[in-house]
Amino acid sequence: MVKVEDIQQCAAGLLEKGQVKSVLGFRRGTAGAMAEPCTITEAAEAGTLVWDPTCLNNLALYLVKDRKQQAASKTPDIRPIGIVAKGCDSRAVAVLLQENYFKREEVFVIGVSCEGTGVIDPKKVATLLKGRSPSRVEFDGADGFKLTLRGGEMQVPAREILADRCLECRAASPALNDVVFGEPSGERGYATPFHAAKEALGASETERWAAWEHHFDRCLRCFACRSVCPMCYCPECVVDSTSFVIEPQTSAEEKANRIKWCERSPNTSESAVYHLTRAIHLAGRCVDCGECERVCPVNIPLRLLNTMLEMEAFEMFHYQAGHDLSQASLLSSFRDEDPNSFIR
Amino acid sequence: MEKILSKEKLREWVGKLDGCEVHAPAFADSVWNYAPVQTGGDIDLSHTNTVGSVKAFAFPQREVFFRFEQAKGGAPVLTATVPEPRPTVVFGVRPCDGRGMPRNDKVFSAEFKDPYYWARREKLTLVGLACNEPHSPNCFCQSVGGSPHSEEGLDVLMTDLGDRYHVKAITPKGAEAMERAGDAFNEAGAADQAEVERVHAESRQQPQRPIGDLAAIPEAIKQNFDSPVWAEMAQHCIGCGICTFLCPTCHCFDINDEATGANKGERVRTWDNCQFPDFTMHTSGHNPRHDLGARLRQRVSHKFLYFVENHKTQQCTGCGRCISECPVGIDIVAVLERVGQS
Amino acid sequence: MMDNIYLPQVGRIAGIEEETQGARAIKTFKVEFPNGDGFEHACGQCAMLSIFGRGESMISIASSPLVKDYKQFSIMKMGRVTTAFHDAQVGDLIGIRGPYGNHFPMADWKGKDLVFIGGGVGLAPIWPVIQTAVAQSSHYGKITVFYGARTSRDIMYKADFERLRGLADVQLSVDAPEQGWQGYTGFVPANLMDKAPSPDNAIAITCGPPIMIKFVIQNLQKLGFADEQIYTTIENKMKCGIGKCGRCNVGKDYVCVKGPVYSWAELKTLPQEY
Repeated sequence: MVKVEDIQQCAAGLLEKGQVKSVLGFRRGTAGAMAEPCTITEAAEAGTLVWDPTCLNNLALYLVKDRKQQAASKTPDIRPIGIVAKGCDSRAVAVLLQENYFKREEVFVIGVSCEGTGVIDPKKVATLLKGRSPSRVEFDGADGFKLTLRGGEMQVPAREILADRCLECRAASPALNDVVFGEPSGERGYATPFHAAKEALGASETERWAAWEHHFDRCLRCFACRSVCPMCYCPECVVDSTSFVIEPQTSAEEKANRIKWCERSPNTSESAVYHLTRAIHLAGRCVDCGECERVCPVNIPLRLLNTMLEMEAFEMFHYQAGHDLSQASLLSSFRDEDPNSFIR
Repeated sequence: MEKILSKEKLREWVGKLDGCEVHAPAFADSVWNYAPVQTGGDIDLSHTNTVGSVKAFAFPQREVFFRFEQAKGGAPVLTATVPEPRPTVVFGVRPCDGRGMPRNDKVFSAEFKDPYYWARREKLTLVGLACNEPHSPNCFCQSVGGSPHSEEGLDVLMTDLGDRYHVKAITPKGAEAMERAGDAFNEAGAADQAEVERVHAESRQQPQRPIGDLAAIPEAIKQNFDSPVWAEMAQHCIGCGICTFLCPTCHCFDINDEATGANKGERVRTWDNCQFPDFTMHTSGHNPRHDLGARLRQRVSHKFLYFVENHKTQQCTGCGRCISECPVGIDIVAVLERVGQS
Repeated sequence: MMDNIYLPQVGRIAGIEEETQGARAIKTFKVEFPNGDGFEHACGQCAMLSIFGRGESMISIASSPLVKDYKQFSIMKMGRVTTAFHDAQVGDLIGIRGPYGNHFPMADWKGKDLVFIGGGVGLAPIWPVIQTAVAQSSHYGKITVFYGARTSRDIMYKADFERLRGLADVQLSVDAPEQGWQGYTGFVPANLMDKAPSPDNAIAITCGPPIMIKFVIQNLQKLGFADEQIYTTIENKMKCGIGKCGRCNVGKDYVCVKGPVYSWAELKTLPQEY
């Protein structure tokens, strides 16, 4: 069982000794049961850090955000940065390191093993409670959660409200870490890896397309899925029409001739282009942190799109994004034994 | 007009609304949202609040203004596409969403009347449902001048009395919708009246998020325009569109020409969002609201300062969606509290 | 049916004048209304111009309201829509809706000296005021026009300036002079200080790059102009032009409705969001 005091002491120690200038972690929010991200820069603030099954966010996003803010030189330099990271979050840090987004010495990974459980899926909780939200969610023994509701408590078996990514997790303990809390544990045994993707593939192509049309049709194009993804760090996203980079030297022609890969209209077709292009840009890079799906206000099962591609990467190239820092990234490497029937 | 409708007769009322499009909350894909009701279909009014707000019935996310066709060097042929919708009745509108509509009406009327908004709005009948208990821990309707049984903006207000609904017509449009199924309703007696008052009074005692002195907020925001508070509160903002797209009063939009073929296309309005980087960016690249702090300040200032200055009321009805649905916990109530302290 | 505020009228490009060249070239377009509709405008107002398939842009109306046959727009090549305008030919049919925004309070300026200070393409929004003032010169006192550009090739409305010389005190300046340059060499604010127009019973109207406006206003204040005697225009990104789409606000004001014309006394009370 991970003790939050261990995380707090670690963070305080790192800040005190000057090993890091800041720590990305979780704190109790004001908005309800879910923990929220925080950045602390003083050892005295370490007591506000929390650890529970509502620590949903992949904080690696803020390592990316920090680099972008530094590039615009608007904020004080807070490197090296300590980051509280679950297994999936540490994989995101690993991919960012592989892609040279920042340097290894700029980040201190405070790894936390999910130890055979993981984080909850608020949408599953919403389904269980038909839209209502608990005021508190806690671990309750090894295989369950305790929800506090208006007028009572409720015990729920872990598998009922655990996020799908946690059910299928292959590495619940952060492989990339500078310190790790909690017991190392690998596969969970709740569900086999790629279980949901394989199950989805059981349907016919027509059925699958109908399902995705239904989902794309509901998309609001709020771009939360792209904005929350640590791997979606491009300064200008080809499928997000709201992020154009304009430099003083950008010519009128460049601005005028910029291709709109998808229109602003949230049509089924435009939203399909948005989501499918995004998924393909994440092939071999998605660490299955599930953030895209978690943040979707209309609950589009976006994780399925990404895990389908990761399944291909695994089955064809035995590649798992972020599992091994010494490995070259999938799209930048070639081995003689790679299947290459698509070329011949 | 105040009537009593037994719960099993709700379906009968809906059945009498022939010729109308009827929408009601439905729980699908793990979220409550409005969905069309088939004739004679059931309505489940056990909903919390819908994830999308009722504004979309008058201000859909995508509205085609007109189609155009123009060969090179030729004359443009423009065909306006002002909608001609059927009368639409929406059930289960929470009072916070109801209060959103008169605020949207102000925006789409002031100085220039918006024909697309009003073509839909005039055909819209909102049947509200009072909240006997808060549907989320982030409800704060009473903190912004509303109430769990506010009638503002609604055409009908229903109150759940256990085995039956108390149904009150607020506007002639609402009365007309009720008269369609006159037989389904019973007269509301003195006991029913007393019960409604009791339920309403009880609902007002339920816990909500407090925001302190509403009247002091505009000045506090004004004083804090250059404060570091905004950047601090927006530190973990990811700049997505959830808070504004789900808001019952956010009305900002974009207009673009979209091609539908060679030499033809549509001029289209879509929802836009003050949290997106390109929202205010000039073509030169200059951006008057260049960071997330400035954009959070705009969202909060628009609702609690500028709208108050322009329309004498807040542009927030306390539904709490922007708080509950924010992926990183940005909380407009906490922001107001923080700004009030600075 | 109520008027559809989003449906543009059809305009015909009746003339195109190349003002300046380069990466940010400026062309001036005369737009007529071939269907006989059109609209009246006041000095300082704007219109939404569109090229169907490319989109709309808010552009200042650069011709005087006294000119009834056409409206004139000076457009700098900047992005999608303005580039499409630069590619357009005489005779092309475009979309136009308006007029939008407030206007310069010229009626309040009767009997006063008018000092215009423009820089670059910023001459366009104040050009209709200059044209109207000289056409009705008996209503006003002395009319002085300061205008600066990077080089003499970047000076807008060259032919019109020649005509203007007889009607007003014209003070041209360039930052980088070529051989034979007769006017002032240096930035516009410096030229203003050099000539030092009197603030007595005068109104100053300025428009240009933000940095120029800033120093012009500082210098006007040094010369003794009160905040109420100084007028300028501001711009922000716009989509609807009618105070609804929500992006052009500076504080509580939608610039498309309450602006673009502000006295410095008004503008300095608004937050710096433009």
